Amino acid sequence: MLQFLENIFGPSWIVSLIAFLISTTVILIVTPVTFMMMTWFERRIVARMQDRLGPNRVGPAGLLQAVADGVKMFTKENITPRAADKWVHLIAPLVATGPVIFLFAVIPWGYGLSPVDINVSVLFVIAVSSISAVGLMMGGWGSNNKFALLGAMRAVAQMVSYEIPAVIALLSMVLFTGTMNLNKYTELQGGLPILGNTLKDVIPDLGLGWFVFTPIGLVGFMIFFICILSEGERTPFDIPEADSEIVAGYMTEYSGMKFAVFYMGQFLFNYALSMVASIIFLGGWNFPGIPQLISIAPPIGALASAVVLGAKAWFLFFVMIWLRGAFPRLRMDQLMAFAWKFLLPLALINILSAALWLTIMLWCTGDCTQNPWVFTVGGINPLGWLGNSPVLRQLVGFVLTAIINAGAFFWLLNVNRRPAGETPADLARDQAFGTASLP
Amino acid sequence: MNILIMVIFVVLAAFTLAAGVMVVTVKNIIHAALWLIASFFSVAAMYLLMEAEFIAIVQVLVYVGAISILVLFAIMLTRHVTGEGVRQLYKRWWIALIVAAALFGVLIVPTVFNYEWAVQPSGAQISIASTVEIGTAFMREYLLPFEVASVLLLVALIGAIVIAFEERSTRRRVLTLAEEVEQRRQRNESLRLAPTTHASETSE
Amino acid sequence: MTVEFDRGKAYVVDRGQPKLRAGQGMIAGLDVVIRHFFSAFTKKLETPDETSGVFTVQYPEERLAMPEAFRNFPILLFDDTTGQELCTSCFQCERICPPQVIHMTQAVDPTTGKPVPAVAEFMIEYDACMSCGLCAEVCPFDAIKMDHDFELATDDRAGMTVRKADLDRPVSYYETIAPTRWAEVKDGAYKKLQGNIKRRSGSIGLSPRAATAPKKAAPAAAKPAAGVAKPVAVKTAMPMAAPGKNMSEEKLARLLSIRAANVAKAGGAAPAEAEEVLATADTDDVAEAPAAVAAARPVSSGGIPFSADNLLGGVPANTTMAEDKVERLKSIRSGNLARRG
Repeated sequence: MLQFLENIFGPSWIVSLIAFLISTTVILIVTPVTFMMMTWFERRIVARMQDRLGPNRVGPAGLLQAVADGVKMFTKENITPRAADKWVHLIAPLVATGPVIFLFAVIPWGYGLSPVDINVSVLFVIAVSSISAVGLMMGGWGSNNKFALLGAMRAVAQMVSYEIPAVIALLSMVLFTGTMNLNKYTELQGGLPILGNTLKDVIPDLGLGWFVFTPIGLVGFMIFFICILSEGERTPFDIPEADSEIVAGYMTEYSGMKFAVFYMGQFLFNYALSMVASIIFLGGWNFPGIPQLISIAPPIGALASAVVLGAKAWFLFFVMIWLRGAFPRLRMDQLMAFAWKFLLPLALINILSAALWLTIMLWCTGDCTQNPWVFTVGGINPLGWLGNSPVLRQLVGFVLTAIINAGAFFWLLNVNRRPAGETPADLARDQAFGTASLP
Repeated sequence: MNILIMVIFVVLAAFTLAAGVMVVTVKNIIHAALWLIASFFSVAAMYLLMEAEFIAIVQVLVYVGAISILVLFAIMLTRHVTGEGVRQLYKRWWIALIVAAALFGVLIVPTVFNYEWAVQPSGAQISIASTVEIGTAFMREYLLPFEVASVLLLVALIGAIVIAFEERSTRRRVLTLAEEVEQRRQRNESLRLAPTTHASETSE
Repeated sequence: MTVEFDRGKAYVVDRGQPKLRAGQGMIAGLDVVIRHFFSAFTKKLETPDETSGVFTVQYPEERLAMPEAFRNFPILLFDDTTGQELCTSCFQCERICPPQVIHMTQAVDPTTGKPVPAVAEFMIEYDACMSCGLCAEVCPFDAIKMDHDFELATDDRAGMTVRKADLDRPVSYYETIAPTRWAEVKDGAYKKLQGNIKRRSGSIGLSPRAATAPKKAAPAAAKPAAGVAKPVAVKTAMPMAAPGKNMSEEKLARLLSIRAANVAKAGGAAPAEAEEVLATADTDDVAEAPAAVAAARPVSSGGIPFSADNLLGGVPANTTMAEDKVERLKSIRSGNLARRG
């Protein structure tokens, strides 16, 4: 095939250049359109939650509202404050948004629809998403505005804090599955809930073995979802752009398209991380019927898988809007305490239970004598009674990890609870002086 | 070699060097930090060009994502160095140049002349350190250095907590005016001085 | 309940559910929000005491009925049957008007030269009117009332100085917009009007609008529309359309022609159309409808252009003042103008 193309187009580097240019172009077209749809979607949904209608004038059901907004943004004056650091101020939105679009290069959009297939895509997502913090810092510093600088400091502190539980939650899944390749997560989540692919020969592939149904995946998903809310600065954690305190945070001095680029970066970041969460925890493009469709007609199956994955990501985005409609903003101390006192220990315990699951699944399976997992205590294999049946091992692992995770959850809740004898006066005083212990 | 890769390599190398030069020549220290981030990033891109995905990504994760933020925070929290009046060149800059060149030579000469470069026949599959290989190397061959490094980091972590930790009971908070006046009144009483009626009146 | 501590008071709200365990409050909040979300697709808020359902009123297509006491700018009333204006030019409104935008001239009997209880010219500067409604409150003859029409936006500033010909509205119109308020004062107003008509002669006190129409018209039709009385009813026709419903055909036609000529009130021109639009339009997708309504609305035509000439010869041609009086007034005015520079 490559030889054939080479004969037509010339040397192979031209072919690969063209191929990369095509996929780049597609990503650069699809992501801004997604962003536009997201702004419309968010405004409509949150309006209904507040008993309003939302934008419905431009185009059918207001669908072209985002286009109108885009025209407005383009025609607005592009203001750079006189005291600002011009180049830093100019480049900051690009540095904040560029990495977010990088993310879409490694995220599979559907079956066989990943622009670049690298082996460490989970790590790539983690690493590249941390770059945008530099962009926020540049924007805050380059604006020469105290609100912008405060907002940037808050944003970066928040991103750095919440990255740790997010990474550990993902690491527990990496340990659980043994792969860092986002493309492989979907195959691993076929079959039945909890049991996964183990009964594939007996029962047809229902595509429901999502990791969110296992205790490790559930806790990991909760932690990861809260962390992406925080990293994407969604409402309960939108402290960096708290408009009632610091005008618009690091975006205070931005207007016109530069503001729009910042805004796009934020929304696309939410979308990219929603996609990652759906791939890792919500079974990717698995859904009853999709595996069969892929095996029968791959092109149609690929399209259907993209639709299913998109639906899952949009559902997560809907949940984000739902949270925005329901909850007020946290305080800075509450935010930090929640990350460090609750999420981080829970994530660590989750990684331990993932290791336990792995032990139960792998300990002396198959031929006991040659397996590197063989480890006997006084000549007796302590998990030998489980036999070789993966189903039994899975059920035992499920029960054990469920007990551990649930215990850790309630224990942490209990540890972080307010003191038992606390009166409303204590609480009020605590809140008045900002010394409250936890949200 | 592939022409495309060659072109990309030259561009990246030129950018890395240019960014490095900017780090030491630019006047504004924040700009220097930003140029440093740029050079880190293009180094990561070069790793990627060598198909060492894992190392490239770890470079981004550690240097661009973490170290650079640390540097920026450190600069911003020490305000007096952010000014543009910082001197860049001193009279005897050439001595520094000679010392730096000599150190570089000490490092590079043995590497170039004493190392046997394994020249692969063109077209042969070059094995690249994958995640699994790096992991097994850490867990088998280099277990002791790995553990020592992790213990060191743990010590640093605990040390940071100990330095930053303040006992809850002794934690100070900003007093309100009324509390300050009350404290002063109590102090005055304990010293058997006449209570400063003026202060206590303002507190009411 | 309030809790006192050394810095002040804190108000603790009792939410009726004392034992919320961790996270239950958050889930309750999410539940409330999602209920509102779904009800917003199926329900429309009808009365203010409901707590769910869309409360948006899509303004150009849907309109809220104005409360009767709503006040925008003052208008003058004239009797439908006789065409006699209720105003006796007692100057109460001119005196009380805080921004002093009301100006009037009393009518004079041309034969005797004596003032009669009627107004020769009446002028209100709408651009400076602050809609306080004091003129309507103070009027002993219920001749000046506050209108409900608020869509008066225009780029013609001079046109905002409105004269009697444009201020006059039939009583039946006022009865449609404020039936109960009019019913309270109706008898007294008509009684006083009867007394005043006796002292008027000729065309004095006749509304210029009524004069253009045949006198026989209008059985005092205006039965108060029941729907308008309801304080907040989301789905109503435009208030301007209301008079059309209750009037006889020719009267409607007259009213419409006057309106089309004078004031930008296209809403009244197409009540049936507007209702159709309302009926067909979904609550959601009404993007096309405003265009239709907007197209039907004529460009606002102003009153008499505002100029020094008009100020000088401020008395319109059709007044019944005596010639010499007009001359005197003119000289006084020009003297005033010269004094002012």
